[in-house]
Amino acid sequence: MEALIPFALNALTLISILLIVSMGMAIIFGLMNVINLAHGEFITIGAFTLVVVQTLGGNFWLALIAAPMVGYMIGLVLEKALIARIYENPLHAILVTWGLSLILQQVIQLIFGAAPQSVTGPFPGSIDVFGVAYPAYRLFLIAFALATFALTIAVFKKTRFGLDLRASIQSSEMASVMGVNPDKINARAFASGAALAALAGVLLAPLTAVTAFMGINYLARSFFVVLIGGAGSISGVAAGSGLIGSLETALSYEIPTTVAQALVLALAIVILRFRPQGILPA
Amino acid sequence: MTTTTMPSALGRLTQRRKLGPAFIVAIVVVIVLAVLPAFAEGYALTSYRDVLLFALFALSLDLFWGKTGILSFGHATFFGLGAYGIAITAIHFEIDPSIVSLVGMLVGVGMAAGVALVVGYFILYGGVRGAYFTIVTLALTLIANHVAVGWPAVTGGDSGLIGVPPISIFGWTLADPISSYYLALTVLAACLFGSMWVMGGRLGLILTAIQDDEIKVRTLGYKTPFLLLMTFAASASMAAVAGGLYAAANGFVAPDMIALLLSTEVIIWVAVGGSGTLIGAVIGTAIVWWLQQKISSINASAWPIAIGSFFILLVLVFPKGPAAFVIDRIRHLRREEGADR
Repeated sequence: MEALIPFALNALTLISILLIVSMGMAIIFGLMNVINLAHGEFITIGAFTLVVVQTLGGNFWLALIAAPMVGYMIGLVLEKALIARIYENPLHAILVTWGLSLILQQVIQLIFGAAPQSVTGPFPGSIDVFGVAYPAYRLFLIAFALATFALTIAVFKKTRFGLDLRASIQSSEMASVMGVNPDKINARAFASGAALAALAGVLLAPLTAVTAFMGINYLARSFFVVLIGGAGSISGVAAGSGLIGSLETALSYEIPTTVAQALVLALAIVILRFRPQGILPA
Repeated sequence: MTTTTMPSALGRLTQRRKLGPAFIVAIVVVIVLAVLPAFAEGYALTSYRDVLLFALFALSLDLFWGKTGILSFGHATFFGLGAYGIAITAIHFEIDPSIVSLVGMLVGVGMAAGVALVVGYFILYGGVRGAYFTIVTLALTLIANHVAVGWPAVTGGDSGLIGVPPISIFGWTLADPISSYYLALTVLAACLFGSMWVMGGRLGLILTAIQDDEIKVRTLGYKTPFLLLMTFAASASMAAVAGGLYAAANGFVAPDMIALLLSTEVIIWVAVGGSGTLIGAVIGTAIVWWLQQKISSINASAWPIAIGSFFILLVLVFPKGPAAFVIDRIRHLRREEGADR
């Protein structure tokens, strides 16, 4: 029983990371149906916002507020400049966002250098959970991810923006007849997805090596979280993160982490064969 | 009257496809490549040989992407499996040196075909097409790369494996630059003409039809997932041959032979030459390789940025490929000249 608590908490940490990383993906890919291979770079941008804020003397909390704004602005600009032209053709979306991803990676590396950046998170100590000491930051991460998840669902279900977005996804023509401007909604939705990814980047940064290529690790996993959870459903993200996160944590106890990640992705392909619509379809 | 002439018209159509301009270009290209060693030696020749093997790799992608319209983002997986197959067989097992490279090639190609069949079965029979196929194959390269880096006991981890013996066929070793160049050219020419011949026939027509409307083709009685799966496996095997020959010719394997950047680059080689033409893949590889020499010498970051920009330009400026873009422009200019007169 004693051994189960750290396992459960480790799994919950990974699930929370996947949850928050994949929420942006769920909006951009799951709801808007845009395959965004540059999603990982928005995570990187979030993490580097923390680097910049801390270099300038600011603290973690400031970055936690600044990163989503930076992500939103960059997302908005890129949507207007590039993404808005490729909604019709998924292959074009893949090529353009992949090109974007390569450029962003290199630009970030040119500015900040190749060496991993060091960042410090808040809450350095650990907290006693049922008799087991566990890093306080990870507990904060779990709570914060759950809160963000609840807030995102609330925005989708309860606000005007959520209603307009869901309407224009169901039928863009009908929504525009009813006075919803689809271009504006698409731009804001894409930017929100980017903002969520940047937020995830700040939260992740204290736990991993912050480099220009850190985002790619989360790209494929967040795609599979959304696909397995059921594209088009926000609650499916929780199911997908739960499955992939707990499996990966369980496997990492026995085999190297990279191989465990590989195995989980392979398993995800098998799951898609038998449940192409995901676990919790919309 | 019309009903009796139709089959012969169709027959002429397929025959003309075989001897089209692409075929003539292919013959010219192969002849040029065959006399090239007269003007190059040593290091330059080994570079050209590597370009030929990359061209073979590009050809394998064009065989699937160009003919079925489904983009595989994971072809480096198969190139890498071919390379690691021969390297692991030669280094970790004690096999008679006269046949070790043949056994290694078989292992690599077998692994690639096996992975393509299993993964292809799960996704193609699962009804996954288009963009989703691309994401799954992208994940495949990530998985393969994770394994290559995370399993150092077998794959050598980050540093890869050194000491892959050159190709040797029953004691006849093709180690020097000239013979390995001609080996690469022979394999490339055989695969190129073989693919053109097969795709110029019935299979090519059916695959084109699947691209247009898969449900209609299935209604006509063709097992479309099976045909797509077989094309995918053939394409993967060809990529593995390229990878195996590359590892043997250069004497080493490294994780960047099974990485996402290589999967990306091969898409560009095919796109520059114009996908679906087969010979275009070979020409595209040569052009991009030459460009890469120029651009990489500026800065290490310059090449990935150039690739990224190319992808964006490819979609926004010349969606039919740069070659078609240039041809369209020339036609456009000619038409304007004609209008002036």
